[in-house]
Amino acid sequence: MALEQEFVCPLPSGIHARPASALEEVVRHFSSAVTLFNRRTQRAANGKSILAMVGTDVRMGDSCVFTVSGPDEHEAMAGLRAFLRDKFPHCDAPLTATKTEAATPLSPCLRDAGATIYRGQRVVPGIGRGRVVPFGKFSIPPSLPRHGVTDTEMEWQRLEAALEKLNATYLQRLGRTKHIEAELVKVHQSIARDVDFRTSLREAVITRQRTAAGAIEEAELHFSNLLAASGNEMLRERALDIQDVCLQLLGEIYGEAAKSAEVKLTADAVVVAEALTPGQFLALDRKFLKGLVLARAGGTSHTVILARSFNIPTLAGVTNLSTIQFDHQEIVVDADAGALVTNLTDAARRYYTLEERRITGRRARLGKLAARDAATEDGQRIEIAANISTAGEAAGAFDSGAEGVGLFRTEMLFLDRPTPPDESEQVESYQAVLAAANGRPVVIRTLDVGGDKPLAYLNLPAEENPFLGRRAVRIYPEFEALFRTQIRALVRASANGKLSVMIPMIATVDEARWVKNIVVEEQKKCAAENIAFDPAMSVGAMIEVPAAALAMAALSQELDFFSIGSNDLLQYFMAADRMNTQLATLLNPLQPAFLRLLKLIADAARAQQKEISLCGEMGGQVRFLPLLAGLGLNKISAAAPSVAGLKAELARLNQPKCQQLLEAALNCATADDVSALLEQFSAQVNVPLLETDLVMIDCDATTKAEVIKQAVDRLFVMGRTDDSPAVEDAVWRREATYSTGFGHGFAIPHCQTNAVRFNSLVLLKLKSPVEWNSLDGQPVRVVILLGIRAAKGGNAHMQVLAKLARQIMDDDFRAELERETDPDRLCAVVQKIF
Amino acid sequence: MNFVAVTACPTGIAHTYMAAAQLEKTAKKLGHTIKVETQGAMGIQNELTQAEVDAADAVILATDIAIEQEERFANARKIQVPVQAALKDPEAIFAQAK
Repeated sequence: MALEQEFVCPLPSGIHARPASALEEVVRHFSSAVTLFNRRTQRAANGKSILAMVGTDVRMGDSCVFTVSGPDEHEAMAGLRAFLRDKFPHCDAPLTATKTEAATPLSPCLRDAGATIYRGQRVVPGIGRGRVVPFGKFSIPPSLPRHGVTDTEMEWQRLEAALEKLNATYLQRLGRTKHIEAELVKVHQSIARDVDFRTSLREAVITRQRTAAGAIEEAELHFSNLLAASGNEMLRERALDIQDVCLQLLGEIYGEAAKSAEVKLTADAVVVAEALTPGQFLALDRKFLKGLVLARAGGTSHTVILARSFNIPTLAGVTNLSTIQFDHQEIVVDADAGALVTNLTDAARRYYTLEERRITGRRARLGKLAARDAATEDGQRIEIAANISTAGEAAGAFDSGAEGVGLFRTEMLFLDRPTPPDESEQVESYQAVLAAANGRPVVIRTLDVGGDKPLAYLNLPAEENPFLGRRAVRIYPEFEALFRTQIRALVRASANGKLSVMIPMIATVDEARWVKNIVVEEQKKCAAENIAFDPAMSVGAMIEVPAAALAMAALSQELDFFSIGSNDLLQYFMAADRMNTQLATLLNPLQPAFLRLLKLIADAARAQQKEISLCGEMGGQVRFLPLLAGLGLNKISAAAPSVAGLKAELARLNQPKCQQLLEAALNCATADDVSALLEQFSAQVNVPLLETDLVMIDCDATTKAEVIKQAVDRLFVMGRTDDSPAVEDAVWRREATYSTGFGHGFAIPHCQTNAVRFNSLVLLKLKSPVEWNSLDGQPVRVVILLGIRAAKGGNAHMQVLAKLARQIMDDDFRAELERETDPDRLCAVVQKIF
Repeated sequence: MNFVAVTACPTGIAHTYMAAAQLEKTAKKLGHTIKVETQGAMGIQNELTQAEVDAADAVILATDIAIEQEERFANARKIQVPVQAALKDPEAIFAQAK
């Protein structure tokens, strides 16, 4: 017996995608059929389909009825009634504006270059230069007739056949594509198969005599508007996917005639578009695609995900983009600075030549460092590995100098798709990483999902506190088949390299035993089926639940290695939600109690002769490295871009000294005390103020701004800062009080900022004198830039700099600097006063 | 003549010390004696005692920021100049003392 519930829509914007998704959330767990009926439009929809419910066009004041029928109809209706009464009227509160990063200050060198600059948000980092290729909004060529069909049945058959053919094409493409592109095909397939989409096309043809093109145009408009009207960013971005399907459908029906909007790139290009569909993106020749400027693009848009995977610098959120006249000129997408630069002047072009020099210079230097084995100055090996989220990232990680993959998060394989990946898809993905590793160790973590990362096919209910709820290893017994498939795929992949399996969220020995048992069973099955695998594949656990930290000895009986997940361990240990920015002081990994916990874990692992590593964010920050080296970890795994820097830093450290530092830190009372200790330690790390590579004898800068940029760029290239704009900004703020050109053709720009990692001195000799607004009105020929870290009290470096400042007033010393042209000897001239 | 001086600039990294060196150099050239205290990133160095201040004919304050222990100079004859003046035309500062 079906149950019914009447209601009047109280929502000012009606049931658009956001309220619809909230309703779907309530009913989807029940097996009963749920139908929404709108009396005004006389339309009914499946209550478990967001698109369908949106399609009933429920507006404010519409009288509607929900019908529930099935085995659990009473529970379902109770849930629905409670929702309609308590939450539904408030489920459409306007979303808070998406937080935009504060725009970083532009380099004065660029700001004063005379070009036109529009600010936007960085979506994919990088800098690209090319001619503007505008991309119009989605449109159907006007040459195609839209209405006036006489034989509507025939027209519908034509459209229906095209839909079938498109579905077949998608199936074929699924066999050929991989990873993100395959995901995309699945999304498009689900749209092409959507009952509502099909019905809307059919109605347009049969009842309104539209042509196929007319029907597609109407359907596109209808669904895109519905999705665009929703406050849900993810749904809004699905509108692009609908446009893609429509374009492909048109292609099926009209062939070449439908392709008038196609854009071909023939030279380096920056594509500027209100929005770009993923299909349109993939059709662009990536050899020439240097950058993207989109009016709208969120992090979840497929186009953005694709752009990221192909490293195309992308900028979004440029205000009034459609009103900018580009006229096919050459422009620069500077996603790093969040700037779109047009009307390029010579100065602006020079600026970007310098930017290129800066970036390639840093890369070349890191490349040299990356090739080294990671070890401390005294030869203590610590493997520096990379964290990755997709198989595609592996090759790049190894290029960055990673000595292994310390954490391959497999969630991306499972997220945002209607069904889980099957065994062969998983094997393929794991094998791809092992192939890129070429014998180096790879640690693959099994699925770590819970109520916060919804997987449609798991139907996990939302929880009050998902991070303390059913997630990771805790849900494996319930979804044993899913877990077994993953383990079997890992066992099979283990035949192809040095693979280890890591289990997230282990808290007890029982969990470890349960997992271990499944691994052994799957290995036995593979053996019975004559499938190759590595019987020595190790199985380990993330140490992220404090309980596990106190069960290391017992866990060691079951497991082969441990990896500290510092982010979760910290939030669980400090009982502080890591998403809550107001708890930042608690979430400081320098909290002495947390360091003591780390020490306990590392010591326990060593006592059991088990490998111990760390794969959280703490591992990626060079600042913490002395403490981690002091812990005696075997391995640190961090995001690939941090790897080379970690290796370089590690080579500067002395393990026994790091151990002493850690001992001292463990005795500290507060995180601030530890921080001060670290600061003091870093100051003693033997990084010289000046080295030959910080001397430039033929600087070609032509303006003060350019001189400062080039000097700061040297610091960036040499790894002495990771944030050139911040250092430049600090130098200019100092310059604003009064010019540092003190006369005699010399200038001594300087700043005190922790954006420099080590106290540094850059010495530039200019090819041609540069106006500096000096005390004696003369242009400058020699520039000494000082980048100093903020420190309390004096230290050895400050004494040296004070001496240098005094010395520079000496005529003979300046004459010597002017005379000397060899970088090594110049370096020596300065160093002899130290 | 016998001078004492204090130099202090906003960041205390460069100009404080450059000005000190310039005042010392110029005093020597002009045949004066001078002791220069620096108040920079290193804190107070070459600190002036009250006796030294009292014995001086004049105090040169080449400072762009408030200095510490200013009370030492309460009864002294002060020549207040910006730090940059000590770099640009130091002789003019000494000339003021005449």
